[in-house]
Amino acid sequence: MGDTLRCMEQAVLFCHSRVSKGLVREESVMQAIRVEALSKTFRVRRKEKGLRGSVQAILRPRTEEVRAVREVSFGVDEGEMLAFIGPNGAGKSTTIKMLTGILYPDGGRVEVLGIDPAKQRRQLAYQIGTVFGQKEQLWTHLTPYDNFRFFGAIYDITENETEKRIGELAERFELGEFINTPVRNLSLGQRIRCEIVASLIHKPQVLFLDEPTIGLDPVVKESVRSLVKQMNRECNTTIFLTSHDVGDIEKLCKRIIIVNAGQIVLDDSMEHLKYHYLHKKIVEVKMQEETALPQVEGITVLKQKGTNARLEVDTAVIAISDALRQINAEAVEDINISNVPLENIIMNIYKAEGKDLTEQAGNGQG
Amino acid sequence: MLTAVKNQVRVCMLSVKYNIMREMLNKVTFLTNVTFMILNNGSILIQWFILFRLREDIGGYTMREVILLWGLTAASFGLSHILFARVYSLPELIVSGKLDSYLVQPKSVLLGVMTSATDISAIGDLLYGVILLAAGGLGVRGFMMSLLFVVTGMIILTAFAVLLGSLSFWFVRVDMLSGQMIMGLVSFATYPDGIFRGISRFLLYFVMPVGMVVYHPVHILVRFDAGMLLTVLGYACLLSVAAAAVFYRGLRRYASSSLMEARM
Repeated sequence: MGDTLRCMEQAVLFCHSRVSKGLVREESVMQAIRVEALSKTFRVRRKEKGLRGSVQAILRPRTEEVRAVREVSFGVDEGEMLAFIGPNGAGKSTTIKMLTGILYPDGGRVEVLGIDPAKQRRQLAYQIGTVFGQKEQLWTHLTPYDNFRFFGAIYDITENETEKRIGELAERFELGEFINTPVRNLSLGQRIRCEIVASLIHKPQVLFLDEPTIGLDPVVKESVRSLVKQMNRECNTTIFLTSHDVGDIEKLCKRIIIVNAGQIVLDDSMEHLKYHYLHKKIVEVKMQEETALPQVEGITVLKQKGTNARLEVDTAVIAISDALRQINAEAVEDINISNVPLENIIMNIYKAEGKDLTEQAGNGQG
Repeated sequence: MLTAVKNQVRVCMLSVKYNIMREMLNKVTFLTNVTFMILNNGSILIQWFILFRLREDIGGYTMREVILLWGLTAASFGLSHILFARVYSLPELIVSGKLDSYLVQPKSVLLGVMTSATDISAIGDLLYGVILLAAGGLGVRGFMMSLLFVVTGMIILTAFAVLLGSLSFWFVRVDMLSGQMIMGLVSFATYPDGIFRGISRFLLYFVMPVGMVVYHPVHILVRFDAGMLLTVLGYACLLSVAAAAVFYRGLRRYASSSLMEARM
């Protein structure tokens, strides 16, 4: 009880105004997560190929340092839904594991709800929930109901309170049909819903979701997203999401942090990201007969096959109406104009920033 | 503080209960494992009966003391494997980064890991051990004391496995050393200590804690010695504290992993 009060007091101390990308938010916002110059380095064994390499590794072991996270700093406001994304090996999972107390940082400072995960892991665990899409926490031979009761005991919730909570969550997450079926007999989608419920049994203030929709079909993905959204809306739960699924990011989060090679390469609002990066449009045209396409600055022919063509129009160079005028309208059989998919934007950021980071590292070494 | 301990015990007991429930899902396998473990252990004792027909005394032990030796070893080993089977695969859990789910729970990581699996055939070992102790002619008081030594033996065995397994935080492939040491401990624990001399005796008392698991307890059961009893109890406490300290020290080096996993 004393610890909880102390944590709340500490959390209140972190009320402040966040200044981000030139947008000054005037209202006082309580920060749920605060990270300063966070670093983590792993020592990895290196071995030459073949049997000879194996023998050498025993006699003269060689190790190499891999800097998984390099002085990362950011903050997450209470009730915010943040997408923390990056390519494989970028340091996302390492960061999330340091925020949840799984890994000890080598440097920097972390505070989640005013609690240091490395020093007060247990106190923090009462306040946060975690869902790792690739790591199941449920006992597979037990029913979801028995699992939830077990999790209730883990979080020191009384049996009556656990029953009440299971009832509420089962209704909200529509678990009624399979709550008494052993977890091993459930579909992946049903299991993930149960994993989320298990992580919510103690009403966490911050929920860490590490690829929660991995392997799910589009319908179940959508259902999981709407449940997460609903929870954020109704309980003001802070959501820290890592995912490779652009749909998760686009539909859930208002802010995005992109990491690459252990560093933050972009910290922006989704709105800002789209405004800055969506100045390119994709125009797909089907002509009645094969015709030459315009060679104008701002229009790039991405693909042309027979009467079908795919163009990219840079609206910063040429207005979309002007670009359309370059195409012979009478010969057009069908036309479709769309934004560049967010996936492509993110991919380009990964590539561009990854290249920059590699160059920086190269210069640094040189 | 008391509530926290009570809650921790409640979670550990639930965990053990669920483990046993899982193992009992297949009743035939469960009963076969338990029965064959008892028969397997029983067959080895026959060899000792034959040996004692040829000689009256082996390493200072009579048949009764060998029965107590086997009873304590089997029951301690059995109890440790029923309650804390996972400690015997601790190196694998550490190296493969499978401690994540225990680290995000507001409970002791070590106890969570320890109670997360059971070895059902160990019920056979425990039953066999307790039957032998009951047949050891100790009387009620002696039998109760032998049960106390089953518990101290279980604690020492478990703590020894945690201590060795925790070395995986620093060194890879400790699993082989750990496995060999534990199997060695159990094997040596089934022979009278009188047959070991010099360095091997030193090893059995000071490197592998066989002396504390069975030899001292057998001597106390045959002829009570308060000093020796306190040594065993103190050693069990000390080794447990040391094992937990090494585990939590090593946990700071835990590297997790991105492997897919399920709680089976």
